[in-house]
Amino acid sequence: MNPERESSLVEILDRLLNKGAILNADLIISVAGIPLIGLNLRAALASMETMLEYGIMEDWDKSSRELYARAETHLPLFPGEQIHYKAFGYIRQEQGLIKCWVPGVWNITSQRLILWIKTPGEAIFETPLENLRVLRVPASHEVRRELELIYPEGSARISLSERDEFEEALAMAMERAVAIEV
Amino acid sequence: MAEEARYVYSVARTAIKENLGEIGIEKREVFTIPYKDIAAVVHSCLPQAYDTKDRARAEEWVLEHSYVIDLAMKRFGSVLPFSFDVILKGDDSAIAMWLEKNYKILRENIENVQGKAEYTIQIYYHYDDLAGKILETDAELNGMKNRIGKESKGMAYLLQKKLDQKLKSLVSQKAAYLAESSLSRIRSSVDELKTDGKRRTAENYKSLSLLASYTCLVRNDMVARLGEILDEVNCQEGFRVRFTGPWAPFSFVDYRELS
Repeated sequence: MNPERESSLVEILDRLLNKGAILNADLIISVAGIPLIGLNLRAALASMETMLEYGIMEDWDKSSRELYARAETHLPLFPGEQIHYKAFGYIRQEQGLIKCWVPGVWNITSQRLILWIKTPGEAIFETPLENLRVLRVPASHEVRRELELIYPEGSARISLSERDEFEEALAMAMERAVAIEV
Repeated sequence: MAEEARYVYSVARTAIKENLGEIGIEKREVFTIPYKDIAAVVHSCLPQAYDTKDRARAEEWVLEHSYVIDLAMKRFGSVLPFSFDVILKGDDSAIAMWLEKNYKILRENIENVQGKAEYTIQIYYHYDDLAGKILETDAELNGMKNRIGKESKGMAYLLQKKLDQKLKSLVSQKAAYLAESSLSRIRSSVDELKTDGKRRTAENYKSLSLLASYTCLVRNDMVARLGEILDEVNCQEGFRVRFTGPWAPFSFVDYRELS
């Protein structure tokens, strides 16, 4: 295969800003003791580098506008659906989209279990209560108390400080005992 | 004395003072300032750093800088690339004196990269492809898979977890094996190799997992050979190689002793 010289801006920035000669000469211009690179420019480019890296620069304007438009929203409910319980907590999936602990408000409704984030107003996770199974599992973190959710599409680890209360609320909503020891 | 300065793009191996045209940052005229058989590639500017809060402008400057280095590489063979915004105070004679003072180390560095260029090699793998292939052939995993269908829901869940874990470790074993065996072959065709600390997944490879990332200094006459070796890795099912370059030897110049 032949090497390609794609004009990857990220790669060029990495070389020109992080590698190459950094001198400490008497002759050199320095900005506030930090040699060479203009501070504002460095900041401007550094943030761009990060954004390019995560591919979030495209449609930035659009998505930020959407975010503000959706701010201050309330959890949308189905007709007849009621919220039974709310508690702050986390979720993480070993296999799935939620790779690290994501915080939000756990809502147990008469029909669903939902992790809701108020701003921008988004359900990070939701599953119907039917077919939901919950396992009590040893916590990966001392302070946290964790449960394993098993639902038809997969599984997720969740964490709450008031685990017992949550289990009770869930049991009431599901009209059956939910938590079992593993 | 009027305040003046020189913006330095690179140091090249040439003894000739020449004008390279208006190819610099903001169309500044780029020229060489020689001392003996080496020369600084510069443009004249005020003794202040190029600085802006405007991202688009900053980006343009960096690309222009990169362009001058690429052009100098084509013209003079290998060059010692300088970071963005290296500005030395003084006129041409001051720069020549600076070259004289650092001649030995600059010359050694140029010698080391002469006839060579920098390349980036990244090896990626596709987890699902590799996992699928392993599932097809591994008897133990197949046995587990068959049992899952017959067990109760809870038991099936635990078995599935066990299977996933086992599969994960087999995939990473296979990937690690390939990384190791290809590394020794890659080493045989490059002059120097550095493992990249910052493992950055390239734009079009986001769906793959990055297995290894190297920056190599490669002799011009060895690039084709290296390409062949990488072809063999690229042909392995579930693996993909990204090979970029040639770059100026940004990662292989040692300026620590430069003053």
